[in-house]
Amino acid sequence: MTRPASVAALTETLCAGGYLADRGLSTAAYVALTLDRPLLLEGEVGVGKTEIAKTLATVLGRRLIRLQCYEGIDTNQALYEWDYARQLLQIRALSEAALADEGAVDALFGPKFLLERPLLDAVRTGDGAVLLVDEVDRADDEFEAFLLELLSEFQITIPEIGTIRAERPPLVVLTSNRTRELHDALKRRCLYHWVDYPDFDREVEIVLVREPGVSETLARRVVAAVTRLRELDLAKAPGVAETIDWVRTLGAVGAADLDPQTVEDTIGAVVKDRDDLDVVRAHVHELSRG
Amino acid sequence: MADATGTAFLETLVGFGRALRAAGLPVGTGDVQTYCAAMEPLDPTDLLDLYWAGRTTLVGRREHLPVYHRVFREWFLGVPGEPDEARPFNRPDAPEAWADLQLPEPERSGEEREQQEAPMGLVGSDVATLRAKSFADCTPDELAALRRIMRTVRLTPPRRRSRRTAPAVDGRRPDLRRTVREALRTHGDPATLRWRERRVRPRRLVLVLDVSGSMADYSRALLQFAHVTSRAARRVEVFCFGTRLTRITRELEHRRPDDALARAADAVVDWEGGTRIGASLDAFVREWGRRGIGRGGIVVICSDGLDRGDPALLESAMRRLARRCHRVVWLSPHAGSGGPPSLGMTVATPYVDRLLPARDLDDLERFARTLAVLG
Repeated sequence: MTRPASVAALTETLCAGGYLADRGLSTAAYVALTLDRPLLLEGEVGVGKTEIAKTLATVLGRRLIRLQCYEGIDTNQALYEWDYARQLLQIRALSEAALADEGAVDALFGPKFLLERPLLDAVRTGDGAVLLVDEVDRADDEFEAFLLELLSEFQITIPEIGTIRAERPPLVVLTSNRTRELHDALKRRCLYHWVDYPDFDREVEIVLVREPGVSETLARRVVAAVTRLRELDLAKAPGVAETIDWVRTLGAVGAADLDPQTVEDTIGAVVKDRDDLDVVRAHVHELSRG
Repeated sequence: MADATGTAFLETLVGFGRALRAAGLPVGTGDVQTYCAAMEPLDPTDLLDLYWAGRTTLVGRREHLPVYHRVFREWFLGVPGEPDEARPFNRPDAPEAWADLQLPEPERSGEEREQQEAPMGLVGSDVATLRAKSFADCTPDELAALRRIMRTVRLTPPRRRSRRTAPAVDGRRPDLRRTVREALRTHGDPATLRWRERRVRPRRLVLVLDVSGSMADYSRALLQFAHVTSRAARRVEVFCFGTRLTRITRELEHRRPDDALARAADAVVDWEGGTRIGASLDAFVREWGRRGIGRGGIVVICSDGLDRGDPALLESAMRRLARRCHRVVWLSPHAGSGGPPSLGMTVATPYVDRLLPARDLDDLERFARTLAVLG
């Protein structure tokens, strides 16, 4: 699919895909697409950073390639790995004479024996892919260095083979929860957008888009309750994802309204910290009043 | 877009970039180029496009957003922004609640120092007495001398095994890459298995320094110690608090100690104001702890525990903190002095793994030794 013609068109396309993006996020995504620049999204947990990448992939008709970062992730898991078992078999199949031949050995470290990992996969797929590098702050700083070449040149260098370059770069979305400061070298290569909590009306819209079965009255009451929860002094304020979870939970137990008993029963979908639960229990009546 | 207006427009954008730079944002030429390129397919007469395209290309840090917002209003709308509005964190609540930090004398150059030291014989006291002299009684010159000694303190945070592996003589995971490479020599017989082992890396160290009035005599020395620490070990985070918490890790990154200390002093607004330990630690846990800054790390709190806030808040903050990091160490100038513990200390102690004195340099060196063996 071709790129959307304007920011408004992109917003509409995203909306059709079930994601309500505000002007800032749409502009950032649009600029990332037109300039072929990676987009770094930061924001509180559960504001839809990962979701936007998934939706972009769907609405643009691209394949989503996801790399979940974790501590200790390295080239073998992120870029490529050699297929050692096949290499060994191949060596044994070759005669001694054949092994003396340079070409045969070179072939052992050729594309045939290369296992693709997400980043290499994304470079090879090019603009048919949306590459999501999720929670990049969870990886250690050594890993950021691996990413630099990819982010600026959309290429990967494999010593035995050479440089593999994306002819048309994939859309790269990085997300971070800011558990640590990312390196400036990484940030410099990216566009940056801070994703905020949506305002009340937008969050109601989001709930209605994501859970079409729910009544608007209930959606408004749940969003009002969640907004109130965010004002309470909680260690972990609920994100939009939690709002949707809560609505879904209410649907599952067949609740049509948010009365104190229902709040009490289903609060586990929104608040997941024991100390926070104590705070919330003291305010159950306010929450159910809506 | 006509050429003439195009050039004028570009100049406006470049000027905006310059204005941001003047306001202290790290905006490079490349960033401005990206901004101009981003505006190409967008509508130059649309303020929202101008705003958002600039925000996504020129700003790389959430803290810079208010400044961006203000400069944007000034530049494109001609609305003079209030400097205070843009930097809400630097506005002191009550002017009398804070005073300038008196920094130790700047380092003298080598020659100057010799001239000074010769007649004064290292500021009039020998190293041994200086080591055991309470920070509270030190003159600025003595503090400067202490700083030089502090540099020799070796700080090695305990280590933990990382998920990353390195080639090893022996280990649990076979190193297939090396094994296959060597099998080439033996015609595909993996004659010798090679191994990898998980590496070890130092735990993160988080220093939380009390710089309130009751700690005023110690905070300078502790700040010096923090600077030396952040230069000596990687992965060190430094926070200060009196009535509110400030992160000064970036300020301390500066190589020259005087610059680093001056910058840190600028960043902290409530030097020698009151103490709200509970509220500050609570802010630390919420803002940073929850995001995992202390996870698997050692949190070192330097405070006398004289809290003017609610003990219940301190208790809950300490409880959360203890759960979110590997070890909590509390350094107090009064620990082990025999006096009755402050209320804050009494509340916090159950959640502290080690309570150590920090009255003088000997104490800090003892802390450095304890740190290395803190399992």
